[in-house]
Amino acid sequence: MFLKTELQWNVVIPAESLDAKGLMLQKAIVIRLLDDFSKRKATKDLGYLLALTTVEKIGEGKVRQHTGDVLFPVTFSAISFKLFRGEILEGVVHKVLKQGVILRCGPIENVYLSSSKMPDYNYVPGENPIFLNDKMSKIEKGVTLRFIVIGAKWLEAEREFQALVGLHADYLGPVS
Amino acid sequence: MSGEEEENAAELKIGDEFLKAKCLMNCEVSLILEHKFEQLQQMSDDPRNQVSQVFEKSLQYVKRFSRYKNPDAVKQVREILSRYQLTEFELCVLGNLCPETVEEAIAMVPSIKAKGRVHDDEAIDKMLNDLALIKKFE
Repeated sequence: MFLKTELQWNVVIPAESLDAKGLMLQKAIVIRLLDDFSKRKATKDLGYLLALTTVEKIGEGKVRQHTGDVLFPVTFSAISFKLFRGEILEGVVHKVLKQGVILRCGPIENVYLSSSKMPDYNYVPGENPIFLNDKMSKIEKGVTLRFIVIGAKWLEAEREFQALVGLHADYLGPVS
Repeated sequence: MSGEEEENAAELKIGDEFLKAKCLMNCEVSLILEHKFEQLQQMSDDPRNQVSQVFEKSLQYVKRFSRYKNPDAVKQVREILSRYQLTEFELCVLGNLCPETVEEAIAMVPSIKAKGRVHDDEAIDKMLNDLALIKKFE
């Protein structure tokens, strides 16, 4: 699900950039914020950070004693993407393995669909391996699947999410 | 969200802060991200240098999975769905998946039929028909 939230982050401006005043300083703060934002990539609470939409307010700067840098609290709105357990959404099959399928959904590349959660589908090996059911419904690379999220795990070290999904309910499966 | 209550979007157990957060449909995000991308194109030769992988993949995804492309249609979808007492989360799932029948809608968003909610089948059917009409005239 895509979320729009209001956040408050602290942006640090080095002492050297502080000669600028007014609009130039504001620009420097926004540029720094944009940079921090893209570097952050994702957080456990908000999911993947996609885009900063508006800067609502830049607070008063506080000088940091030892470095001379100034810290500005900035309030802004941003769009993020997060998967919720029980949520139903669509993704694209990227890889087909005997144990199941790997999907891509939004910015998430590690969405795992185990064969045990694909009722009535059987693995068909070959150069282009697929999963097939008796109604001839095919699951192969490039196919869009509608699935339910079983769980999402936050990997602190890689700063990314891994998700486990399933097709074990009505109206789930390949979508034309 | 407390530790005892396990997260479950089907029952709308997604944490208080998310129940109140603004959710966006794929088609809404598509308009926002495309606009941002265009802005960057005006500022530099290769806008793809300026955007993160997360942005690029998300843009690709929402472009592909937007049911409505026209900005007016997108606004109408939000307006129409807002008339039926839905949470932001439910509204977006419906706007993204565009179920065709009442049965399918309930399967996609089981919480709309939970105890205490005011959605009878007739209301859900009308809502789906309104959505289909927007698609038709897009």
